[in-house]
Amino acid sequence: MRPAFPVRLGIAEETLIAQLKAAGADQIAERVTVAGLPTRRVEAYHYTDLKTLLRTIPPLAQPANEATGTALRVAGAYTLSIVNGVVQNAATAPEGVIVGKTHGGVLTHRDDTLVGISNGLTKEALSLDLKGAIGQVIQIDHRIEGEAAHVADATKIFVADDSSVVILETFSGSDAAHVGNHASYIALGKNAVVTHVTVDLGSRSTSHFATNEYHLGDGAQLRTLVVHAGSGLARTHLFPRMEGAGAHADVTGLNLVAEGQHSDITMETTHAVPHTSSQPLFKSITRGRSKAVVQGKLIVARDAQKTDAKFMHQGLMLSDDAEILSKPELEIYADDVVCGHGSTCGKLDDDSLFYLLSRGIPKAEAETMLVRGFIAELIDPIEDEALNEALQGIVDGWLLGDH
Amino acid sequence: MADYDIPTLKEEIDRETVEQVLALDVDKYKYGFESDIESDVLPPGLTEETVRFISAKKEEPEWMLEWRLDAFRRFQTLEEPTWAKLHYPKIDLQEISFYAAPKSFKGPKSLAEVDPELLKTYEKLGIPLKEQAILAGVEGAAESVGTPFGANVAVDAVFDSVSVVTTFREELAKVGIIFCSISEAVREHPELVKKYLGSVVPVSDNYYATLNSAVFTDGSFVYIPKGVRCPMELSTYFRINEKKTGQFERTLIIADDDSYVSYLEGCTAPSRDENQLHAAVVELVALDNAEIKYSTVQNWYPGDKDGKGGIYNFVTKRGDCRGVNSHISWTQVETGSAITWKYPSCILRGDGSRGEFYSIAISNGYQQVDSGTKMIHLGKNTSSRIISKGIAAGFSDNTYRGQVSAHAKAKNARNFTQCDSLLIGDKCGAHTVPYIESRNGTAVFEHEATTSKISDDQMFYCLQRGLNEEEAVALIVNGFVRDVLQHLPMEFMVETQKLISISLEGSVG
Repeated sequence: MRPAFPVRLGIAEETLIAQLKAAGADQIAERVTVAGLPTRRVEAYHYTDLKTLLRTIPPLAQPANEATGTALRVAGAYTLSIVNGVVQNAATAPEGVIVGKTHGGVLTHRDDTLVGISNGLTKEALSLDLKGAIGQVIQIDHRIEGEAAHVADATKIFVADDSSVVILETFSGSDAAHVGNHASYIALGKNAVVTHVTVDLGSRSTSHFATNEYHLGDGAQLRTLVVHAGSGLARTHLFPRMEGAGAHADVTGLNLVAEGQHSDITMETTHAVPHTSSQPLFKSITRGRSKAVVQGKLIVARDAQKTDAKFMHQGLMLSDDAEILSKPELEIYADDVVCGHGSTCGKLDDDSLFYLLSRGIPKAEAETMLVRGFIAELIDPIEDEALNEALQGIVDGWLLGDH
Repeated sequence: MADYDIPTLKEEIDRETVEQVLALDVDKYKYGFESDIESDVLPPGLTEETVRFISAKKEEPEWMLEWRLDAFRRFQTLEEPTWAKLHYPKIDLQEISFYAAPKSFKGPKSLAEVDPELLKTYEKLGIPLKEQAILAGVEGAAESVGTPFGANVAVDAVFDSVSVVTTFREELAKVGIIFCSISEAVREHPELVKKYLGSVVPVSDNYYATLNSAVFTDGSFVYIPKGVRCPMELSTYFRINEKKTGQFERTLIIADDDSYVSYLEGCTAPSRDENQLHAAVVELVALDNAEIKYSTVQNWYPGDKDGKGGIYNFVTKRGDCRGVNSHISWTQVETGSAITWKYPSCILRGDGSRGEFYSIAISNGYQQVDSGTKMIHLGKNTSSRIISKGIAAGFSDNTYRGQVSAHAKAKNARNFTQCDSLLIGDKCGAHTVPYIESRNGTAVFEHEATTSKISDDQMFYCLQRGLNEEEAVALIVNGFVRDVLQHLPMEFMVETQKLISISLEGSVG
């Protein structure tokens, strides 16, 4: 039975509505007033019921006086910081990089509450115009400092035709019940080659939400990697849209969840024109009583003939009481396409483990080796050596139980 | 002589040509005839009175009426679900008649006494005379004939709202099997009905199941006692005949310990302009070491080439593997209905139980199919397998929606799912919406899905060997669905292959 109309609003929703109204975001405030936060009855939130998971929303963030250092240091990276939603002044940008600010939200309007909140609350966004082959990794370091705070921040990035760049976004902050709602909009020009890595390293008390929207022009090549390795509750939306012939996206992600954590990667890839391809690949590893969610949808529009898309999710359970929930969807309207999806779930292979043990490798080490092997497919393609090493460090740290 | 002959010959040719052209023009749906049989029809509308009327008409005991009224009260609090990828105008239940029964059905002495219109119906369906006699309920007919339906098949025929006849009952009764209409079971085996009815699909399970619980009219009831292997295929044939009626049948099959039964279900309806509603509930219960095999060939009227008319098919089918090592297998061939909303499921409760789902769903014209399965693993060492083949042609939409879940206590649960879609033409859509929920570390799930079109190589190969385009498509599609066809009983397999070719006619070029 559907809940009686209107829905009963909790403290979190009331705080949120007041914040949205104060920011002048009446439309989304109205939506939350009428429908509340999305529950499992909303298809896209079937496995991540925000109404039960988000009991309180902290006050909107104040500019921070002190800031801890970045949670992930990558040698040689050019770093920009957004602290408590405020874009910080930065060192002189490398050649081909123009740093600026824009006002308001960056995401395209869509039927989603978190996207609406991001657009409604974001005051200023970091903007980057990138041109040419940029050798340095560009790191955007998002931090939420001080007392528990609700932060909405955003970046808008334009990558010019025939340019190439590696962008790293990291999310971290003080150990408080923060709610972060982060948005990234990246437009790839013709034949642009972009690697976009986002790493959540927030504290266990933090709720981390992110939406990454991509628009790919002719021949553009995108590789994304989302890593959830920190916040107690994490959900990242990936919305790549293939808008030019020859565009290709490797959309990848990794949920590392331990006791009490809930991580969700939700993807919706749209193939809007003919001759495009995508290869979404996600992996989830669970430990303790935890929950990993991967939802993915491949949409092939009516005239997007010759689309080639293969979606894959693999779950690895290191404990008995974890949950891995997956929903790989296909929505296909063109007939001359090759589309597929796969989803597997299980524990470490006994045979492989036995093989290593019989060769004298201790059990813990053998397990680590197998898990690293399981993840290698995601991290190996990151070519920048320093970044690759930093990511490998996060995985190793997680395996040792740091996070 | 010659002068005399030629015009005759010419006339003959003309006649043939005209016939052929006519044949081309008529609707492709070969079961689209209407049988003009006198019948009792309840005026349209749904109120508590309707429920009481149906119950009284069925001479039901008080407890059954209460059960229905309870369902009806709950139904009034429910809303029609909208989550399926289906688009249709809202169904007005007040415009539907909830009860229609053919009038002349009480034990004719010979075929001569049977309503000739009904015999014509059987003839059109291709049922041989001997079987017609049995189906029409001619006294003694069942005993006098050996094996109708080619092999041993016992049939329960349901016309509109009532079960008109059940064959082979005596023979089945000898081994203790009960095979009768559900209204009869309510009267004669109340202990079984009370115990199992609604135990797999609870009264208020979903909108359509609740509606069915309130107003179900007839259906089959099967009970296989302990240790009995049912000696023949049991079968039900459903047909909606009256205008503006809904068919709400309810089937309940119970396989007691160590028993086995194979059950077939077939459905057709006349071609009509308006849409008719069909909301059935099927419940299967398999106790320790029992096996139930349930096969459906659903060929309701799909509507005409412009999407007008056709059956709305909202069906809840669920099997409960209640005992240890029990086994339930669903096989379905869905080619008809304007709208199909159907998810035959298995609850794998008993340790070591097994669930299977094999499906072929073909949509053409403006048909919409949203179908799939649920495999709920609750017991230890349970396994399930899903093979689904969806074929979309014309302007149709074909969705596979399935759920596989392993409960925390379902140690070593195992699932394999394969769902493949084939698109024929660029105006149709094929969608896959699987939910895969693993709640314990020892469960192993595998899921794969592909979507493709018939490759040019395959077509070229067939055309080059002299097949025309439609024959080639039918051949390739039959190959595509082979994995599933193999699981159908022999009699159905041959018919299904033909059905697939007919369903896809007009999809090429």
